[in-house]
Amino acid sequence: MNLAELEQYFARAATSGTGPLPELDRVFVGSERLSATDRLAIYNRGYFYRLLDALASVFSQTKRLLGDSDFERLGLAYLARHPSDHPAVERVGRSFAEYLRGVGTPTLVVDVASLEWARLSALVAPNPASVATVNRIDLGAFPRARLHFVPSLHFLELDPRALLAFADADSATDQCATNAAQPLCGVAVWRTRHMVVHQSLIAAEWRALVNAAAGATVQQICAFFETGSEPDAVQQAFQVLSRWFAREWLEAVIASEP
Amino acid sequence: MRSTADPQQALSELASAQPGSGLACVGFGLRVPHYDSILSHGLVADFAEVVSENFLGRGGRAFSVLERVRSDMPVALHGVSLSIGGTDPLRDTYLTELSELATRIEAFSVSDHLCFGTFGGHYAHDLWPLPYTEEAISHVVERVQKVQDRLGRRLLLENVSSYVEYRASTLEEWQFLSEVVTRADAGILLDLNNVYVSAENHGFSALSYLRALPRDRVQQIHLAGHSDAGGYLFDDHGSAVSAVVWQLYQESIELFGALPTIVEWDERLPELSVLEAEADHARALSKARLAARHEAAP
Repeated sequence: MNLAELEQYFARAATSGTGPLPELDRVFVGSERLSATDRLAIYNRGYFYRLLDALASVFSQTKRLLGDSDFERLGLAYLARHPSDHPAVERVGRSFAEYLRGVGTPTLVVDVASLEWARLSALVAPNPASVATVNRIDLGAFPRARLHFVPSLHFLELDPRALLAFADADSATDQCATNAAQPLCGVAVWRTRHMVVHQSLIAAEWRALVNAAAGATVQQICAFFETGSEPDAVQQAFQVLSRWFAREWLEAVIASEP
Repeated sequence: MRSTADPQQALSELASAQPGSGLACVGFGLRVPHYDSILSHGLVADFAEVVSENFLGRGGRAFSVLERVRSDMPVALHGVSLSIGGTDPLRDTYLTELSELATRIEAFSVSDHLCFGTFGGHYAHDLWPLPYTEEAISHVVERVQKVQDRLGRRLLLENVSSYVEYRASTLEEWQFLSEVVTRADAGILLDLNNVYVSAENHGFSALSYLRALPRDRVQQIHLAGHSDAGGYLFDDHGSAVSAVVWQLYQESIELFGALPTIVEWDERLPELSVLEAEADHARALSKARLAARHEAAP
């Protein structure tokens, strides 16, 4: 075998979930004290349990909901199908929530996993190049401006019960979590200083945020707050945009051509 | 033990810490559970080592810790995912981010492991041993040179602990390591715990290993703990440095001089003060050994 073949063989032995490979003794040196199979088993155990530990550290609430045994079973099956594709081991869970959904895991658990992944993504996001502030806005150009969000801001729609389940362990309170009757709830996840926080959003703010991230202008964003009562709409749009600035969600306000 | 008032001066001192220079610079590897303590109280060491992958492309708390530490002392970057011996292509994004980070923090050194850890486009997040063959030497040397060209600096390669050897190997591990660093003009980050663990697992002499290395290539030392897994030694970095590894450390000072030394601890991580005590011990051994040598000199 050449170098590439030897490495492929080693990788198969170390990552195989189905037991030792044939011809192991012809490739590796064993001894009376420890056979080649025993020696490769050290790497095999290390591979799966190191990655399982990484999953557990990111998806601690998912693990709590699933229980240790089911988490290990599902985690190992996930790792066998989704090897890591990132140099940082903590990112191995990139597709874990989708995997859980695909194997019929209850939506509540899938959504907690999605929330935990969003929180990890916010935690490790690069720092923004800048943070936009209200006092630097060109008011004349503001209606046509587009908003560029900081890298740590993530948003997703969840079963509101997922927020409750997360809050059970986190002791966090959340407005949306008290209204668990609604089918889906928009949630923003971001990093403030060194902490990751998440917050549910009212429906109009959720629509505004999704569209703003897709490139809508401030004028178009404000339209999502129209309720038939112009003063209320203006007030709500103002409050939401002010909150985005206050939470340092905006990296830049980019002027558009008229 | 000292906290360097002038990090630039400390960097200069470390950079000049060549074998026999008499300097005993000791630090330890920073780990996430220590971040709160570091942000609150800073760090007491001559220099610090961080795992490169924990900072590549990242911001937030991790980077604040790094900047805080770097404002006090030199920082060495130590990678785990370069896969210098892998047959997957080197990843351009990884090298770009590593180069940017090294430049940004004026890294005292950049190191990774002489092993492979990628397969079919995936990361193993483990340090898998290479076959010690001429083909592997040529392959690794070419990749080390590419990395060094990208970084614009010498790469240090650490020997890994291992539990298995390939029948295809035609060289001893120390011969393989020596050939790679000499041909690639790279340095050695000598992990004494790894030497000892592999020596016990494969039945060779750790001391012979050290004596066979090219002295001018050994530039840094790692110290760590291991455990007895029953039938083999396991390199878990989960305990204090063992007595036998401290002995190897003293031997290494005789052979290579007092080199910048890092104490590593990953599993069952203790309070920072325990690592500081280990670093103190390394520093004291280093100074005592050099003092004894000085007294014995004619």
